[in-house]
Amino acid sequence: MHDIVHNLGIGFVEVFKLQSIALGGLTIPDVPFNILMCLVGVLLGTLIGVLPGIGPVATIAMLLPVTFKLSPVGALIMLAGIYYGAQYGGSTTAILVNIPGEASSVVTCIDGYQMARQGRAGPALAVAALGSFFAGCVSTLIVAMFAPPLAEVALKFGPWEYFSLMVLGLVSAVVLAHGSLIKAIAMVILGLLLGLVGTDVNSGVLRFTFGLSELADGIGFVTVAMGMFGVCEIIANLEQKEGREIFTKKVSHLWPSREDWKRMWAPILRGTALGSALGILPGGGALLASFGAYTLEKKVSKYSHEFGKGAIEGVASPESANNAGAQTSFIPLLTLGIPSNAVMALMIGAMMIQGISPGPQVMSEKPALFWGMITSMWVGNLMLIVLNLPLIGMWIKLLTVPYRILYPSILVFMAVGVFSISNQPFDCFLMSLFGLLGYICVRLECEPAPLILGFILGPLMEEHLRRAMLLARGDAMSFLQKPISAGFLVASVVLLAAIALPALRKKREEAFAAEE
Amino acid sequence: MTIRNPKDFWAGLMFMAFGAAFVVGALGTPAFLDSLWGGPILQGYQLGSAVRMGPAYFPAALGGILVLLGAVIFLRSLASRLKGEAVKLHLPFGLLDLVVVAAVFAVLGEIAERLGISKDYAMLASAAVMAVLAAVFRPDAKPIAMILASSLAFAYLLVPLGLVLATVALVFVGAFGGHEFRWKEVTILTAVLVVFSVLVFVEGLTLPFPICPAFVTNCPIH
Repeated sequence: MHDIVHNLGIGFVEVFKLQSIALGGLTIPDVPFNILMCLVGVLLGTLIGVLPGIGPVATIAMLLPVTFKLSPVGALIMLAGIYYGAQYGGSTTAILVNIPGEASSVVTCIDGYQMARQGRAGPALAVAALGSFFAGCVSTLIVAMFAPPLAEVALKFGPWEYFSLMVLGLVSAVVLAHGSLIKAIAMVILGLLLGLVGTDVNSGVLRFTFGLSELADGIGFVTVAMGMFGVCEIIANLEQKEGREIFTKKVSHLWPSREDWKRMWAPILRGTALGSALGILPGGGALLASFGAYTLEKKVSKYSHEFGKGAIEGVASPESANNAGAQTSFIPLLTLGIPSNAVMALMIGAMMIQGISPGPQVMSEKPALFWGMITSMWVGNLMLIVLNLPLIGMWIKLLTVPYRILYPSILVFMAVGVFSISNQPFDCFLMSLFGLLGYICVRLECEPAPLILGFILGPLMEEHLRRAMLLARGDAMSFLQKPISAGFLVASVVLLAAIALPALRKKREEAFAAEE
Repeated sequence: MTIRNPKDFWAGLMFMAFGAAFVVGALGTPAFLDSLWGGPILQGYQLGSAVRMGPAYFPAALGGILVLLGAVIFLRSLASRLKGEAVKLHLPFGLLDLVVVAAVFAVLGEIAERLGISKDYAMLASAAVMAVLAAVFRPDAKPIAMILASSLAFAYLLVPLGLVLATVALVFVGAFGGHEFRWKEVTILTAVLVVFSVLVFVEGLTLPFPICPAFVTNCPIH
């Protein structure tokens, strides 16, 4: 307990630290820079959460090049804020427009919109924000408690454990992807292969570069993410007929009634617990958490007959869960250096840009950064509840901005961001190419998210596999002789086998079908 | 033979093609093809052994797995019993269209090379051809063609014409991909975005972008 207080203390000092910053030639002294970055992050997060058609993956990818210029702590605090901020904003659109502003608020649409139609939009918005805030506070503590012991274990990991853990991570990502299992596996492998393009670190050989010098350093992660998520999202949105129905009735009396309070506290607790647990899993995160929580709540609630007709539980639980999941998914990233979803893969990219190699050593080598980031989540949640309750009117206005104004602006950001990575047009060409690939994949019902995860893990996996095989003199059985490594592999096989079983496969398909 | 599940059919083919490309890229072209050609077409990388893996080992293995998975998806599509909307493939262009566009890029690039012009102009011209082809022959593919063309236009115009004109091109070409194009609205939006990019990206974040065209010697903004 004492340790946690001490560590969070380090974090608070870092978050509120005054530093001088340089802005366009001017140097301004004594600015609480990190807290400002936190505010920028949660503002942006709420913004993109509210706006349908742009998600945290594309936004963080867009901003990655900008973070070159920032201090590491400020940059990471801002990017983290975007992810959990989007969980708050997403519920607003879900409740008022019946469109998920964010993928993870898909289930909030069901009961949230019904509540809005009954004139209870206010309490629905309030319960979403309060539930998220509670979940955010609890999961920040969970990260602070569980990260240190996990990092300690991870320090003892050799190449075998890392390789097997990545296998487990990829398998979980596959199991949690929509649609066909085998297509998701194929997308992971395609991602792994694309990640290998560029100079081979062991031999210095240029692989799959077509003799292009631009590809010698490999394909940029930002380029792939922007193409497959950003460009692809815009095209898909443009192909849909425009015509959103916006629920612009005045939102009055935000505060939930006594009856609401009585009904919502238990779902919030359950949602937080389940969300925190599902967030830690490799392949988990906000999306899975919200689905899991809604399903659980429907099963255990006394009011399950009201679900789908405006039950407050159907908003409270998934909204708490997605915020908890968004925050606890930082645990595998911060302790093992392994991303559990596409957003975390981008965070790895951000850390690498700053010259930090993600892994268990970050906590001991850069305690200010590590704890600063965790503490910022709590501060960020505090800002978010202010942004989302008293200032809700501002975000509702934003919903009336038509997409034809929005998407050219997003395009400018993406093009500038990608161009600035290495200041050559080739990266924009690659982004277009991956936009096309992403679009084709989506139409063929192949999810891009597993590909992205494979892409970031490709070089790491090869590296660990080579090292492990060299150390074990080519004995592949060594992966099974190390207990932890064997455990990861067994877990992967069990997961795959379980999902391949007909009964469970049906369940999984039902779960994803519910979303459509 | 009818294709029962076109989504899986094409996905399977795509994965097989990617897998095969990586296997061939890693190991080189097979010997019988080399002998037909009369010399090595493509040389691979060193394979190494399980103990000391060469650069070809991991990609060749993964590529092989990808071919197998693609084959399973492909074969499964032939036996699919799904019907109706679930298997219907909505793509506004076909494989042939992709080949045509790729050929345009390749041919114009080759011409630029022969004439000794910068390849950047070939990319611009190809993007323009792609946009026009889509607008004329594949109206449904207009959004995708315009969005892709707009980011190519921005990328290859930025250095010769500067940030201001490149942004104008990006916004206008991109806006043509939308449902409706309102001149006044797009013009105002362009103006706002140009001012914003210059202030934020160049002045604020000090990105090394030229603002004015290269031929303008005394640019009013620095």
